Amino acid sequence: MSENKSIISPVPGIFYRKPSPDKEVFVNEGDSVKAGDVIGLIEVMKNFYEIKAEADGIVERFCVENEDIVDAGQEVAVMK
Amino acid sequence: MIRYEYGGDEFVFVELAEEMSLEANFRGMAITRKLRERQLPGILDICPSNASYMIRVDPDQLHPDALIAELKNLEESVSLDDFEISARLVDVPVLFEDPWTHEALMRFRERHQDPNSTDLEYAARINGFKSKGELIEAITGFPYLVSMVGFVPGLPWCYQMVPREQQIEVPKYVRPRTFTPERAFGFGGAFAVIYPVQGAGGYQLFGIAAAPIYDREQRLPDFKDAITFPKQGDIFRYRGITMDEYESIRKQVEDGTFRYLTKEITFTPDEVTENPQRFSENVLGRLYE
Amino acid sequence: MIHVLNPGLQTTVQDQGRIGYYEIGMPPSGAMDKYSYTIANLLVGNDENAAALEITYMGPTLEFRENTVIAVTGGEIPPKINGKPIPMWETVSVASGDQLSFDFVKQGARVYLAVAGGVDVPAIMESRSTYTLCGIGGFEGRALQQGDELRVGPVARESVRVGTRVPDALIPQFAKSHEIRVVIGLCSYRLTAESKQSFLSQEWTVTPEANRVGYRFKGERLGFVPREQPFGAGSNPSNVVDLGYPIGSIQVPDGVEPIALLNDAVTGGGYATIATVISADLNRMAQIKSNEKVRFVSVTLEEALQARSEVKDRIAHIKQAIAENGR
Repeated sequence: MSENKSIISPVPGIFYRKPSPDKEVFVNEGDSVKAGDVIGLIEVMKNFYEIKAEADGIVERFCVENEDIVDAGQEVAVMK
Repeated sequence: MIRYEYGGDEFVFVELAEEMSLEANFRGMAITRKLRERQLPGILDICPSNASYMIRVDPDQLHPDALIAELKNLEESVSLDDFEISARLVDVPVLFEDPWTHEALMRFRERHQDPNSTDLEYAARINGFKSKGELIEAITGFPYLVSMVGFVPGLPWCYQMVPREQQIEVPKYVRPRTFTPERAFGFGGAFAVIYPVQGAGGYQLFGIAAAPIYDREQRLPDFKDAITFPKQGDIFRYRGITMDEYESIRKQVEDGTFRYLTKEITFTPDEVTENPQRFSENVLGRLYE
Repeated sequence: MIHVLNPGLQTTVQDQGRIGYYEIGMPPSGAMDKYSYTIANLLVGNDENAAALEITYMGPTLEFRENTVIAVTGGEIPPKINGKPIPMWETVSVASGDQLSFDFVKQGARVYLAVAGGVDVPAIMESRSTYTLCGIGGFEGRALQQGDELRVGPVARESVRVGTRVPDALIPQFAKSHEIRVVIGLCSYRLTAESKQSFLSQEWTVTPEANRVGYRFKGERLGFVPREQPFGAGSNPSNVVDLGYPIGSIQVPDGVEPIALLNDAVTGGGYATIATVISADLNRMAQIKSNEKVRFVSVTLEEALQARSEVKDRIAHIKQAIAENGR
C-alpha cells in the first residue's frame, strides 16, 4: 500500500502536536500509527478535539505547524 | 446627564450616572419598579443595575423610541422623597482567608498586580489599612446594599452603605483567573460579590461564603421559590466566622436544613444617605435583636 | 427515541430561549440561528418553540428508534441517512433503525435537527434550552454524550408532507467573510473618534474562542478616551461601573480583542459596551466559524427594525407555503 491518505481536521481551531506544552509530540513524521491513535489536537470553543489516524500506517508528513490555525476541512497530515 | 441608548433593536440601556452612588442605585430601583407596575406589553426583561438599568423589549410590540419616551416620563415623575424600599436584612457568614480561595489565588499569582502578597494583604495596603485584620473589620463592620444581580445566575454586586471616603476600592486582576471556587467572596472596583458557581473571575479573593446563594436543585428552604437567593435592594451583612462555624453551616447545608438569618426592613434612601453610620447601627441592631 | 452513537463536537437541545430571567443573571440560551431553527420546526409540523438539536461544526451520529419525520437546516454540514446524502431544508422521513450522520462542514457553523414532536426534555423555567455553564435545561443540563437516549414528544399537529422544501431563494448562503450590522451606542462615548472609525473600517478575524457564550475577534487595538475613572468603575480605561450587557453587545476589554456576547453570555459586568449586533444578524453570527473575517457595519435603529421584519416576512412566507402545499 503506497497510496497517500490525508488526515483532515473536521473543525476549525488551533492545531497542537503535543498533549500539553511541556510534553513530547504525539507522533513524529515517519512514525507508525494504528487506527484510532491521536496524532494532534484542535482547540476550538475552549474544547480540545482529538485528531486520530483513521487506519494503520505511517505519518508521512504534517501539513501544518504546531499552533497553526486551521480551517474545517483542512489537511493537517498525510499518511502512507 | 442621563443617557438613553439603543442596545440593538431589542434592548434599551439607560445610564443614570457614570459613577457609582447609592443615589443612582436607588433612582434606578425607583424607575424600574414604576415601569414594572405599568405592565406595558412587549417588555421582556427589566434589569436594574448599579448606576444604570436595561430593558429588553419585543420591538414588534413596543418600539424602543416609545419605550424611551415612557422612561423619560417616569424619570420626571419619580421622586426619591416618597420612595420606600422593603427589603430583607441578611446575615451572610464568610470565612476569611480560607484554604480553598487561598489555593486558587496562589495558583494565579502571575496574573495579579502584586504577585508577592495575598489579595487581602494587597487590598489592605492600597486602602491604607495597617493590617489584614483592619480591612476585614471594615468589610464586616457595615452592611451592603445588593445593588445589582447578574453576570451569572444569582451573583450579587454589593455596595457598602458608608460615606464615599470610607469606601473600599480595589482593582480587578490584571488578567482574569480561569478558576474561582464556588461561593468565593471577592472584591472588585467598589463592589463585594459572592461567586454563585465555580468559574472564571477577576475580583480579588478574600474568603468563602459558608452557605450557597445559588441552589439549582432548590433543596434548601430559602430557595423554595427561586434557584437564586439575592435580590436587588437586599441588605447583606458579611459576618466573619471561624472554621468551626463554617463546618457546622456546611453540615446544615448538606442536611438541607440551613436557613439564612433574615429580617424584614423598610427604609427610605434619605435615611441611608443622611447618616450612613446611624443607619448601619440600626440595621445591625435589628438583624441580631 | 433517538440513540446517540456519537455526540459530535457540541450538540445541545435548544428552543427559542429562556426569556424573562435576565434580571437574576440568567442568559436566554436558545438556538443561536433562530431563522434556521424555526424553519426546521416548521418543516416537521412542530410548534415554533419545540426543542431541536443544535449541532456545531461537526455533526453527531444518531440512530432513530422509531419511524418519524425530520428536517435539517442551517449552515451546510451535509446530512446522510445510512451513509446516503439527504437534502437539507426539506421534510425527510426516517425509519426505525436508520442512522443519521454528517459530512465535514462545508459552509456556516451550525445546523439544526428538528424531529416531529420535538425533543422531549423537561422545561426548566419555561424553556428546554441548554445552559451548559450552570447545567440548566436541555438534556441533563449538558451537551449530548455517547449513549444518551433522547425521547421524542407526541406529534400533536397536522403532519407536513415528506419532500416539502424551502424555496432556494429563502435558504441563506454563508461565505467566509461576513458583514454584520450593529447599532453603535451604549458606552461608545468611551472610544476615541479614531477607534470608533477603526472598529468599523477594519476586517476582524474570528478567534478559536467563538462559542455560544460569545465570539472574540482579533484586529488592531482600540483606544479609549483618557479620563479620571469614575468612582466604582475600576482602574482600566475600558472599565465602567458594572452594568447590564445586551445580547449581541460588543465590548473591548483593555482595548484588545472585541467580544460579541451571545446567547449563553454573562448578563452584566464592568466593561464598556460600544455597539450591539442587530437581531437579524445574530442569526448570521451563529454561522460564522473561527478564522473567518467580519466587518461591522453601522446601521440605524430603523434599519435594524427593517431587517428584523424582513426575517419575519421570510418565515411567514415559508409558513404559508407549507400550509398550502405541504399538507
